[in-house]
Amino acid sequence: MKEIYIGVDVGSVSTNVVAIDRNVNVLFKTYIRTNGQPIDSVKEGVKQLREALGDVEVLGVGTTGSGRQLAGAILGADVVKNEITAHAIATIHFVPDVRTIFEIGGQDSKIIIIKDQMVVDFAMNTVCAAGTGSFLDHQAERLKIPIEQFGDLALSATRPVRIAGRCTVFAESDMIAKQQFGFSKAEIIRGLCDALVRNYLNNVGRGKNLEPPFVFQGGVAANKGIRAAFERELQSKIIVPEHFNVMGAIGSAILAKNYIEKTNAKTNFRGFDAADIDFSTASFECKGCSNRCEVVKVSMEGKVIAMWGDRCGKWTNSL
Amino acid sequence: MKVSFPYMGSAIVYKKLFEFLEHEVIMPPKPTQRTMDLGVKYSPEFACIPLKMVMGTYLEAIEKGAKVLVTSGGHGPCRAGFYGDTHRNILKSLGYDDIELIIFDAPQDSWRAFFRNVQKIRNGVPWHKVINRMYTLYRFVQKLDELEKMVQKIRPYEVNKGQTTQVWNQIQERFDKIKTRKELYKVYEECKQLLFSIPTRKVDEKDRIRVGIVGEIYVVMESSINFGIEEILGNLGVEVERSLYLFEWINDNLVPWILRPKRFKEIIKKGQRYIKILIGGHAVETVGHIIDFKERGFDGIVHLMPFACLPELVTQSLIPKISKEVDIPILSLPIDEQTGKANMLTRIEAFIDLLKNRKRGKTKEVFIDNIQEHVQEERVVMV
Ligand code: SF4
Repeated sequence: MKEIYIGVDVGSVSTNVVAIDRNVNVLFKTYIRTNGQPIDSVKEGVKQLREALGDVEVLGVGTTGSGRQLAGAILGADVVKNEITAHAIATIHFVPDVRTIFEIGGQDSKIIIIKDQMVVDFAMNTVCAAGTGSFLDHQAERLKIPIEQFGDLALSATRPVRIAGRCTVFAESDMIAKQQFGFSKAEIIRGLCDALVRNYLNNVGRGKNLEPPFVFQGGVAANKGIRAAFERELQSKIIVPEHFNVMGAIGSAILAKNYIEKTNAKTNFRGFDAADIDFSTASFECKGCSNRCEVVKVSMEGKVIAMWGDRCGKWTNSL
Repeated sequence: MKVSFPYMGSAIVYKKLFEFLEHEVIMPPKPTQRTMDLGVKYSPEFACIPLKMVMGTYLEAIEKGAKVLVTSGGHGPCRAGFYGDTHRNILKSLGYDDIELIIFDAPQDSWRAFFRNVQKIRNGVPWHKVINRMYTLYRFVQKLDELEKMVQKIRPYEVNKGQTTQVWNQIQERFDKIKTRKELYKVYEECKQLLFSIPTRKVDEKDRIRVGIVGEIYVVMESSINFGIEEILGNLGVEVERSLYLFEWINDNLVPWILRPKRFKEIIKKGQRYIKILIGGHAVETVGHIIDFKERGFDGIVHLMPFACLPELVTQSLIPKISKEVDIPILSLPIDEQTGKANMLTRIEAFIDLLKNRKRGKTKEVFIDNIQEHVQEERVVMV
């Protein structure tokens, strides 16, 4: 029977599930839209994994992403870790000498600075969407170009055009202006890619020392236009790893593997039946004291299996 | 007078103050989402978050029957100096003509105004009593702060998750009932024992992680707006110290200059290495404390800044430089109405991973060590 480690990355836009073997070969990966239903998307991902791999023995499970605690509770994860560490771990595995990681997803983006295989600095976008995939999605829609063609079109442009990309609203009005000046769609798209990269480097990368080798990952790394824009801006080669869009999930699987191997622990994994189990979450405001914590409660078939959010431990410890 | 005040940090201290002056105290509720909603609704959009939260607090206190609101002013060129007047105007425009807002500006700005205010809130209590009780209050703040500092050093190592916070809640309740100085010292000793009796795990000196919290006073002091960052860090196994404690603030701002401890002047001097002119808020202090924490052997700094806070924006822009020159990792967290908690937690966790790595060496092994602890910490919530 195949022995695997499972990694799950639950973000607000997508849920990624991967399986790796002992040597970190990726045996399976899937990418599912979260659609505000993290429980369903985690179940769906695990179900697909079982269908694809057949009989396997799960040695460990790791979760990451903004839904990591929830996913961890549902699956019975061994390691629950933030996505910056998870991304870094995966990238270091595939590109051992990496110094700078650009991670751009649909809703958020990060820059992680590595030195001697250690995270030494990082930054994440907070509120601004102008440096993320949704900026591109939105503009592609405006221009009526399928996002899949976006990259190729950008590469076909011959003239550079500068689009003001400080903010999506200004980018939009500038785009309309440039269209009226007679620039082609391809040129405008190239301008948009440049704007996104500029924006991202200025906002998220402000004050950071960006050193090569550069690794570019996250959903947006599929876009050749953006890749080219990075290379123009940084005057350097950009590495896009093979599994660029599921690196967080791979990282959490590696973390689970390391943990299990080091401690010889038995996994907490609930088994593949978890996909058929009925989970629900609820939250309530505790009126136990003036803190009024928002407590999250996860139940499995009616029985409470996890709680968090209480500051005093009253609920967490009640289990 | 039915008196209330903005909620910031250990609000029992302000409550005590007005009790000692024999006022009827309307305790403002601890800020919640509702406070925020109210504040945001009635404040100028581009005001910074402390102004909005305080606005919300005032409205909630008025709902509970407060007639007089007492607050401290701000000085220097940042907008904080206008907070009081802005709040006053907003209250007026909402039709609260009967609400009085008393603003205490720094006494050295105008001793006259200061004493006029003191006369107002003195409430006819004879001077000798005022002085005696204020001295009790001064010690009250000191003792409470001492206990809080202990809490921050015990929490990361507690064996039973949440216990330290529970004890801290008890301590505050007990302090709330104190009436005299004698009682104060007795309660203080008992609370200390309570803290010492919390079972903790032994952690090697070289494995301890210490983080200093710096930034604008309101977001540093008020846990409801900063997601309870001290507890988050504590629960991740990190010792915490803030740049600001009420006792020190009183010493720095209200105690006459000659009696002040030297520390404050030193911090300012350290800050002036990077910010030479007065820009208001706590910018110079923030920088000064960053350097001070580093000199005292801390491993990292969390810098809290209200979104759109001018002085802290200046600090933030200096941070890459300071961080490099002083050689200490600094995490800047902007705080606004819509900061997502998940995002914030991710940053904090990743930052702590980074500090641990830095401290423990340079191999991949390190990550594994971290995970182990982490799993223990996080798995507590799972069955
Ligand atoms: S969970 Fe604990 S700290 Fe939070 S409101 Fe309830 S009693 Fe208070």
